[in-house]
Amino acid sequence: MAESPLREPVLDAKSEVTCQLIDFQWKLGMAVSSDQCRSLKYPYVAVMLKVADHSGQVNSKSIEMTIPQFQNFYRQFKEIAAVIETV
Amino acid sequence: MAGELEGSKSLSGLLSGLAQDAFHGHPGITEELLHSQLYPEVPLEEFRPFLAKMRGILKSIASADMDFNQLEAFLTAQTKKQGGITCEQAAVISKFWKSHKTRIRESLVNQSRWDNGLRGLSWRVDGKSQSRHSAQIDTPVAIIELEFGKSGQDTVDLPCVVKHPESGSLHGDLGLWSLFMPGI
Repeated sequence: MAESPLREPVLDAKSEVTCQLIDFQWKLGMAVSSDQCRSLKYPYVAVMLKVADHSGQVNSKSIEMTIPQFQNFYRQFKEIAAVIETV
Repeated sequence: MAGELEGSKSLSGLLSGLAQDAFHGHPGITEELLHSQLYPEVPLEEFRPFLAKMRGILKSIASADMDFNQLEAFLTAQTKKQGGITCEQAAVISKFWKSHKTRIRESLVNQSRWDNGLRGLSWRVDGKSQSRHSAQIDTPVAIIELEFGKSGQDTVDLPCVVKHPESGSLHGDLGLWSLFMPGI
């Protein structure tokens, strides 16, 4: 049997995982000022995740992270990437 | 009565109360509370403008995120103003800002974050697996659980297992999404 190309596994409805990440967008922003604080100077990373459930319905979720939070986020994904290489 | 308003211990407490109310979102810090707790001997009609003045000064300092040079210049100017502050009061305010600046700034930044923040991240990597529809899913996968939450809400600690989200919808202010990422 020919080796199938990378495919999206069909998941059992009872499986615990129901969403698939289909897109990941990001932006690096700097909040300069706000009504509460004229001199805010707050850098942040905003991430937009698009996930599809098993029925194909797509939902978007956006998160905003401080730089230290993003660094932790990035570090965790690096760790995942390293582990997945060894499987 | 003016001497009562000059007491530094009370002023320090007043600034703490004002910060709790204006920046940290602590409920119940009313004018009446501050008056009765810190300046009970001062008539209310004298206390009110004093409170407003201190609140205004603290908000100006926080809004400009003043460094210590700016703070000194600002407070010196306030001492020279008509109806401004005394040198002793300036010293108390200066000491207060120096020790609370970081925390107040953190609260102000949080107040400007209206989108969901990332509260937690857990993950696992699955090797080969099977399911009812597919005999062999031989692509390694990473399953990631992200915990979202809005600023000001208490963080909820979740056990590090993949949970079944309820139709991927957000419940209340906390969302729980499990993501499935095919490995390369």
